[in-house]
Amino acid sequence: MGFYFTKDGMNAVLKRLMDEYLVYAPIRMIGGGAFSDTNSVRYGQISKISDIIFNQKSEYSFKEILLPLSQTLFFFTEDQVKEAEAPKKGAIIFLRSCDLHAVKRLDEIYLRNGFEDYYYKRLRENVKFILLGCQNPFENCFCVDMQTNTIDTYDASIEQAGDGYVMDNHCNAWESLLSSHCLNQQDVQPSHVTETGVHVKIPDGLSIDAANSKMWDEYDDRCINCGRCNFVCPTCTCFTMQDIFYTDNGKVGERRRVAASCMVDGYTDVAGGGSYRKKNGQRMRFRVLHKVYDYKERFGYHMCVGCGRCDDICPEYISFSHCINKLESVVKEVGDNNA
Amino acid sequence: MDINTKLLKKNAFRVTKKRGMTASRVRVPGGHLEAIYLPLLQNIAETYGNGTVHITSRQGFEIPGIAFENMPQVNELLQPIIEGLDINQQVPGKGYSAAGTRNVVACIGNRVCPYACYDTTGFAQRIEKAIFPNDLHFKIALTGCPNDCAKVRMHDFGIMGMTEPQYNIDRCVNCGACVKVCKKKSVGALQEVNYKVKRNADKCIGCGECVLACPTRAWTRGKQKLYRFTLFGRTGKKNPRLGEDFIKWVDEDSIIKIILNTYDYVDSYIDPAAPGGKEHIGYIVDRTGFEEFLTWAMKDVQLPEIAEVYTPIYWKGVKY
Amino acid sequence: MHNEYMPYLSEIKEVIKHTDIEYTFRITYEGAVKPGQFFEVSIPKYGEAPISVSGINNGIIDLTIRRVGKVTNEVFERYVGDKLFLRGPYGNGFDVENYKNKELVIVAGGTGLSPVRGVVEYFSEHPQEVKKLILIAGFKTPKDILFLEDFERWNKKAEVILTVDQAEEDSTYQVGLVTEYIPKLSLKNVEEAVAVVVGPPAMMRFTTQKLLKTGFLEQNIWISQERKMSCGIGKCGHCKVNDTYICLDGPVFNFTKGR
Repeated sequence: MGFYFTKDGMNAVLKRLMDEYLVYAPIRMIGGGAFSDTNSVRYGQISKISDIIFNQKSEYSFKEILLPLSQTLFFFTEDQVKEAEAPKKGAIIFLRSCDLHAVKRLDEIYLRNGFEDYYYKRLRENVKFILLGCQNPFENCFCVDMQTNTIDTYDASIEQAGDGYVMDNHCNAWESLLSSHCLNQQDVQPSHVTETGVHVKIPDGLSIDAANSKMWDEYDDRCINCGRCNFVCPTCTCFTMQDIFYTDNGKVGERRRVAASCMVDGYTDVAGGGSYRKKNGQRMRFRVLHKVYDYKERFGYHMCVGCGRCDDICPEYISFSHCINKLESVVKEVGDNNA
Repeated sequence: MDINTKLLKKNAFRVTKKRGMTASRVRVPGGHLEAIYLPLLQNIAETYGNGTVHITSRQGFEIPGIAFENMPQVNELLQPIIEGLDINQQVPGKGYSAAGTRNVVACIGNRVCPYACYDTTGFAQRIEKAIFPNDLHFKIALTGCPNDCAKVRMHDFGIMGMTEPQYNIDRCVNCGACVKVCKKKSVGALQEVNYKVKRNADKCIGCGECVLACPTRAWTRGKQKLYRFTLFGRTGKKNPRLGEDFIKWVDEDSIIKIILNTYDYVDSYIDPAAPGGKEHIGYIVDRTGFEEFLTWAMKDVQLPEIAEVYTPIYWKGVKY
Repeated sequence: MHNEYMPYLSEIKEVIKHTDIEYTFRITYEGAVKPGQFFEVSIPKYGEAPISVSGINNGIIDLTIRRVGKVTNEVFERYVGDKLFLRGPYGNGFDVENYKNKELVIVAGGTGLSPVRGVVEYFSEHPQEVKKLILIAGFKTPKDILFLEDFERWNKKAEVILTVDQAEEDSTYQVGLVTEYIPKLSLKNVEEAVAVVVGPPAMMRFTTQKLLKTGFLEQNIWISQERKMSCGIGKCGHCKVNDTYICLDGPVFNFTKGR
């Protein structure tokens, strides 16, 4: 069912939802940019509907709510372990179509690939998603080509409409709450993008032989292996475990996991020294082919959702979409080499 | 020809090596101006000058080859620039007022440069409004970060942007980027402890490299604009030297207050026989002792809590 | 809901010192486990390390550990009666069914012997289940030999070639690389024989090359891959190679996939 809300009506709904949920959306962090006097749009908790930034892409994705950058798994003493407590409330996450497609990728890894991830699952079960309709694409978006521009598995959708908001609701539990605060009921179809400025073409003949291309060498020098592309990516799920101890009592500590990046030094380090993929170009190859080739080999659909955040954030102006589009000639190159 | 060279200098013209000819000195506070003023300069140079313009070492323009008799016309043509740059002027239409205190210089700052911790031009203009016109020989420069591209340590007052890094431990993934960049490009104030980062606040110079390097925004910039304030660097004949640290983590208001207080101090203690009424402040401080300067300078100054005052200060440099 | 990240305690029952930096810790573990699988061994404060099972015996497992890093250093400080934290077992392990009623050649280099030790034990205890069992085990020097006491026992049930890369002149050990012995193997039908290869990357590369040259078929060769592993359960991404998660799909691979 669709609804129209005034701002006050919407805030009344949010207020009620906050009894049960922590509500996260893209918000403006004043002074939160890397450069002085710059802001940043990132995910954070909101208290009212006007906190949500509707007209900009968030720099970092919703991912950090489901998979915190740094998460305590359990506390330990020398011979005891105690599980970290679960969040007291569920969460509502406002996110765009591409990001909701990314949730499927997170679920794939954290709920299905091998064991279920306990920490992910206990939060995920209590998360509702509200789709932010996209009237227009942003710079570097290529969701249409990745077929992530539409989705209907949301709990609700929202968009600004004049001074108010329109919502489409799929969540039965919210139906009466929404109808009691709306101005009127109407048919609502969330907007979606049908054309983006950036296009990508993943060549059909792509194979693991693409790894042998010279194309990747260009990134040896261009890339600075900072890992921003991984940290902003809504589908990157890697982490590293760390044991820390509280220094005032060396016997007590915690094990945590922190987000890891396949671009950053140390990712492939093995005990006793040694590491794989020392060159940045090879790390780029590993990342790019995972996003648009080998993930699909395993799970049947591409990992990349085309949000373009990696392009937005790269300080060296390395474009992921541009790199994808070079794969066509890579297929030719490695094909010629094999012939 | 009868020209009062004293008055001419105070009107931002100069005596040149060519008899009868002067040059007009156009100050641009903070070194940044709208391009619409450039054709006006071109017009002056082509109409009254020799068709050339010199870009000065203190971020101004000097238009040479102007005949003394054309100074009033030049001043009239300068008027839209003076107004556009919001220069404090005593008599409208009569050119720049006073030239003792030098143009306030600034690096390009955060309007363009990623490293800059503040809007250097904006702060320079604020200082301009506070101190001009003034006959005393003060040199002030602002630079966006501790790279000191504006070479502020060669000025009486050097203002260097700093940022107090804010650490969000929950966003840190221990990638090591900040520790590495701080060690290689800055002072090595960061250290990995227990898979997180510890900052040595005493060592930290607030350059912001950690914020720039951080891929997760675990490091962000402090809300308050803070500065390193250096004193009494100078170039010149007797004893050129670099300015020394005076206050670390000082705020804008205090800087302006201290500069204004120093004008009062110099007014009281300047050698009345100083040639051209010009004496570097440092030599005056040598005479009165630093403590006396400090008493004057800190009058009614309310430093922020974080500020660290370095005292006593010793200067080095070359002595001839 | 089960929390796979929570480790459980295991008591050290015996410590067998093979070399200065390689000990076998015989510890308690109740549950099913296959040779070639691995456990995440941890000591709070120091972290976790993936260690493959080198022996399985009624509520006891052997973990042969090489002292190479922060965690393993700390494990070496522990002794009988002390406890270790464990998670696992993880990975697929060796499936002995693949080798039954075949001529089986096991080639192990250095600590590579640990993950296949269980396979050797199984068939030396059930010799009737294989047509032939040959073990070629190579170590750098006589000082580096692991499970020395086992070799005598295995010698009675299988054809065992124990070789070292280098030794003093008066040494009683055969000197030579494991690859040298492969062409000389007496096999009835090399095209049906199966081989298991475990060891350092270079050793595995040269050994599989030699096996193929000798006539072994790709699908009859099995290898065990080692990679950086952090979670062991298909989440953290560190062990991913192309579309394969070593911790889930391996560490044991048929050569058709594992190469």
